[in-house]
Amino acid sequence: MATTTSETGSQFSTDLPAALVHEGEEVAAGTGPWRLAWRRLRRNKTALFFGGVFVVIVVLCLLAPVYSHDVAHIGPATQNITGSNLNTCPPTCVGPTDIPVGPSWNISKYFLGADSLGRDVAVRLLYGGRNSLEIGAVATIITMLLAMILGIAAGFLGGVADNIINLILDVTWAFPVVLLGIVLGTLIATSGIGPLHSTTLMSTALIIGVVYFPYVAKPIRAQVLSLRQREFVDAARQQGLGNVRIMFGEILPNLASTIVVFIPLILANAILLEAALTYLGAGVQPPNASWGTMLSDGISTIPAAFHNVLAPGIMLVLTVLSINIFGDGLRDALDPRSKVRIAH
Amino acid sequence: MRKYNRSLWAVMAVFAAFALAACGSSSSSPTSATSATTPSSSAAPAKSGGSVTFLYGVAPQSMDPGMDYTTQGAEINWVVYTGLTTYAHANGTAGTKVIPGLCTALPTVTDGGKTYTCTLRKGLVFSNGQPVVASDFTYTLERAIKIPWGGSGEFMTPVVAGATAYSNGKASTISGVTTDNATGQITIHLTAPYGPFDNVLAFPALGLIPPGTPFKNEPTNPPPGVGPYKVTNIVPNTSFTAVPNPYWAKMDIPGIPAAKVTVNAKISSNIDANALSVLNNSADFFDWADVIPGSLLPQIKSQASSRFKLVDLGGTTYYIFLNSQHKPFNNLDAREAVVTGLNQQAMNRLGSGTLIPACFFLPPYVPGHPTGASCPYNNSSFTGNIAKAQALVKASGMEGYPVTVWSETRSPRQQWMTYYTQFLNQIGFKATQKVIADANYFTTLGDLKLHPQTGFADWNMDFPNPVDFYGVLLDGNSILPTNNENFGETNDPYVNSQVAKLSAVPTADLNSVAGEWQSLDKYVAQKAYVAVFGYETFPFFASDRINYGATVFQPEYGWDWTSFSLK
Amino acid sequence: MSRFIIRRLAMMLLVLFLISVITFLLFAAIPNGNPALRLAGRNSTAAEVHQIEVLYGFNKPIYVQYGRMMKNIFTGQATSYVQGFNVLDQIKHDLPATLSLAIGAGIIWMTASIIVGTLAAIRAGRHTDRVLTVLSMIGVSFPPFFLGAIFIYFLGYKASLFPVGGYVSFTTSPSQWLSHMILPWITLSVLFIGFYSRVLRSTILDTINEDFVRTATAKGLSYNQVLRRHILRNSLIPIIALFGLDMGQVIGGGAILTETVYNLHGVGQLFAQAIGLLDNVTVLVCSMLIAFTVVLLSAFTDIYYAVLDPRIRLGT
Repeated sequence: MATTTSETGSQFSTDLPAALVHEGEEVAAGTGPWRLAWRRLRRNKTALFFGGVFVVIVVLCLLAPVYSHDVAHIGPATQNITGSNLNTCPPTCVGPTDIPVGPSWNISKYFLGADSLGRDVAVRLLYGGRNSLEIGAVATIITMLLAMILGIAAGFLGGVADNIINLILDVTWAFPVVLLGIVLGTLIATSGIGPLHSTTLMSTALIIGVVYFPYVAKPIRAQVLSLRQREFVDAARQQGLGNVRIMFGEILPNLASTIVVFIPLILANAILLEAALTYLGAGVQPPNASWGTMLSDGISTIPAAFHNVLAPGIMLVLTVLSINIFGDGLRDALDPRSKVRIAH
Repeated sequence: MRKYNRSLWAVMAVFAAFALAACGSSSSSPTSATSATTPSSSAAPAKSGGSVTFLYGVAPQSMDPGMDYTTQGAEINWVVYTGLTTYAHANGTAGTKVIPGLCTALPTVTDGGKTYTCTLRKGLVFSNGQPVVASDFTYTLERAIKIPWGGSGEFMTPVVAGATAYSNGKASTISGVTTDNATGQITIHLTAPYGPFDNVLAFPALGLIPPGTPFKNEPTNPPPGVGPYKVTNIVPNTSFTAVPNPYWAKMDIPGIPAAKVTVNAKISSNIDANALSVLNNSADFFDWADVIPGSLLPQIKSQASSRFKLVDLGGTTYYIFLNSQHKPFNNLDAREAVVTGLNQQAMNRLGSGTLIPACFFLPPYVPGHPTGASCPYNNSSFTGNIAKAQALVKASGMEGYPVTVWSETRSPRQQWMTYYTQFLNQIGFKATQKVIADANYFTTLGDLKLHPQTGFADWNMDFPNPVDFYGVLLDGNSILPTNNENFGETNDPYVNSQVAKLSAVPTADLNSVAGEWQSLDKYVAQKAYVAVFGYETFPFFASDRINYGATVFQPEYGWDWTSFSLK
Repeated sequence: MSRFIIRRLAMMLLVLFLISVITFLLFAAIPNGNPALRLAGRNSTAAEVHQIEVLYGFNKPIYVQYGRMMKNIFTGQATSYVQGFNVLDQIKHDLPATLSLAIGAGIIWMTASIIVGTLAAIRAGRHTDRVLTVLSMIGVSFPPFFLGAIFIYFLGYKASLFPVGGYVSFTTSPSQWLSHMILPWITLSVLFIGFYSRVLRSTILDTINEDFVRTATAKGLSYNQVLRRHILRNSLIPIIALFGLDMGQVIGGGAILTETVYNLHGVGQLFAQAIGLLDNVTVLVCSMLIAFTVVLLSAFTDIYYAVLDPRIRLGT
């Protein structure tokens, strides 16, 4: 009890549980904040559980080729409308009026059923997951990089640079992303833009990455604004370090917890945005599979073939949910307010 | 928009031509509105009054007939704006017949097919009460050319004498049209004999409108017309109301029935929801140009069989173009492989079973469609022969050649092309699919610089005259640098010369050359310039409040709104 | 202070200008997007296409076209080439649906967020907190079009509890208006409740640690009084700011997915359809509208924070 700060002697403190009140813990002086955060995280069973779920999903998706070659013996794009494929659904995979076959619950043969082109839903789910996760990951990296560079530059350099970067942030934030998605999609399909000739996955990732960076850049900038007044910056300057060294050598490490907290948030939103853009026709184009394409294809078959939309829907929601809950736990763990303040 | 343009005009054209061909030159007794060659279920006596809800999945391009070139718009505009001629309000082939509209009789054709003359009926008024005079026709034609109406460039400007000069601004009026308001006589001179001209006169774009209507698109405030309905309460992209025209009954025009109900038309882009609404009777009509989602078809067929039908309107061909000027399809074996191997039954399954498998370019209602002929390459069940196709690809030497398949976004067209892409890969090519936003698809393909190798295309007749198909889609002389419609760049000297020769034949004599058109169509199938994969049928689906047996499925326009009535 | 406000507003105008320019140029960059080609119709000759270009001014240099477009927009005369209507009239017509959606959903999500967030904070770390976390996270993880499609099919069609999409204006029939709006409200709110309740929870937990709370309890105020008067009042500051930003987005037409799925014919759906039709005029006006509401409310948020926290206005 002696080491906690949240004790107010009122009802509030007793309401704060062990996970947030760090009593009973022998905290050696000098234990770094990361270890403390990790300990806090460890106690958050829910966050850990969902973090585990996410890892399982990622592993499953990465194993897509294994499932496809060795278990199901069918690729994600292999169509099977007529049942002339070796892996015949009985008797065809798509009925006479465009109704695909439902789940067979047979792990090696149309486990989750077929879609309207007779493709194996389970195989497509895993390959699509790879694409969705890939887009999410690339978009997150783009966002974080852009946000870090521009956020730190704006906060640290101030003045004109700050104004220009702020302008860029505002314009990007207010710009309709769907429009960008469709125009870029059309351009790439017809004539290609430089290296983005037919890799439509990357164009979607690029759009999503660019769209989200103001969301992260603004808080980073705000934090840098306050950090720059601190003494260690003056000390670094007196040592003769140039601006760039100070920005990325001194200030960046202090932003680590903020950045780490944002990563799952952006990843989750990127995956959702990909699905939304694809639904509106501005995202992933066929024949590439992604959870977004499977969802939008499946929505019109809801009355007759609910499995088409349930499979990608559940995967998408579960993945995003896991990332969100884990990220939330991470935020709780890294929250500086609940840092142990050693009484002195 | 292209598809809808075509389907509308295609249908109309078919009927018009049939009408002319069947009736010879001049007099034809006006058919009564309720006669039908295919008597459907007994029609209960129609009850007048009441209102119905009509759901459009796609909005009409414009409520202004001088601008609109879509099936959605024509569906309402033809019963609001009647032209000098119009079509019979009947099902099946009877509805393909051209009948007099605002003229007392079909135009007399003289001067070797170059002059059309008719007299306006007496006592005609617009839906605002203003009287109609003969010179209103000239004004209507000029407006259609100036706006410009989408089909004017093909059917009006080059056809009517003096129209080109007028369109270029070199003349202040169209010299080829003369009218006499006292007698009501209208005389039209053409630049050359043009068989389908009676059909052109029946376009809603030439439905008479009052002089003084501004020469620009008026979607929210279109001019009044002469027709059984008039349109009010227009909210663009959202809704409009069609009410019976109070002046119509007085004019007593035979062959065009009066309106019975008020129609509240709503635009609702969620087509699945539209089908559900009509199924549970919270809305009354599903637009026939929309696609019923396949997953609902079984439910609809079992729960609503008495108010649902898939109808073949005889004028729509869905095909895959094959570019015969560039690799790999400049090789006959390669083209033959596609036609031989394509599984049309599978494609049909993807389209919810609405296609009728086919191999000939001209659809059934167009004279020149080779009736009773067998297909050169497809097997009789249209399931395709993959092994033979693979052998053909090997023989062509094009094995492994990269192919780009062009596709629209909406389903089932996208699914058709996805399936086709996989099929091409199966028979030995290296195919990839490219999807283009619908709004831009045909303009993109129409850019000659692209030289698209293969992809989806469709055509709906403007007239039941094969010139409409061949002259635009397969004639080497019609290849344009932009807005091209001959996507396959077909440039066969035999086809070109036949088309040139046969187009000069007036529609009245079409029967005499039908045999030659059939030979040409068979030749084209032999050369596999296109891979036809079906003729389309359309859904006619209504709620149970509607007197379904009395509704007319007009071959050109789809739903005949004047036949709507409540039980 | 006034300098601060003026600077923010000036920034706003600059942002709007840039967005309009970028959108305009984007359309110019679309291959084969020349509206003259589509307006001229099938089989038009080059001469006819040229005529249309002259008529609409497509042959003028790009900045002249831009100027003309802007002038039309600001004088209320912008007419869509593709769809034929006056864009501003159409927006005015579609606005009530969007406003109904935004305001109704806003009330629901704020109320729910406050309840859920406070509850989660008070029971932080315990079972209730964990359950509420998972529940609210589920809401955030659902794509609205997916949720909407499920609602429409099961609740609208199968159970016939609600209409199958569409919008009825309040003036036509209040009860119908309500029954048409309930599902869209829920669909849109579910998105925000998860996020807002989390933010509120963490702000409350921060505030609990503050000295003034300790002072208040020491003074003898009851649990409820402290909660309401001190904790909530302070904790609500960030989510009110967020609410302003999100509301701004939704009103400007940002709820594209919800409006499209339920066919509400609001500004968002107008925007989505215009994009699909490559209708450059409507897209331009709608982009500027969304940008305007977002930037305006963002500026207000900054001012609001500056008013509350003097450090911010001095620091910038």
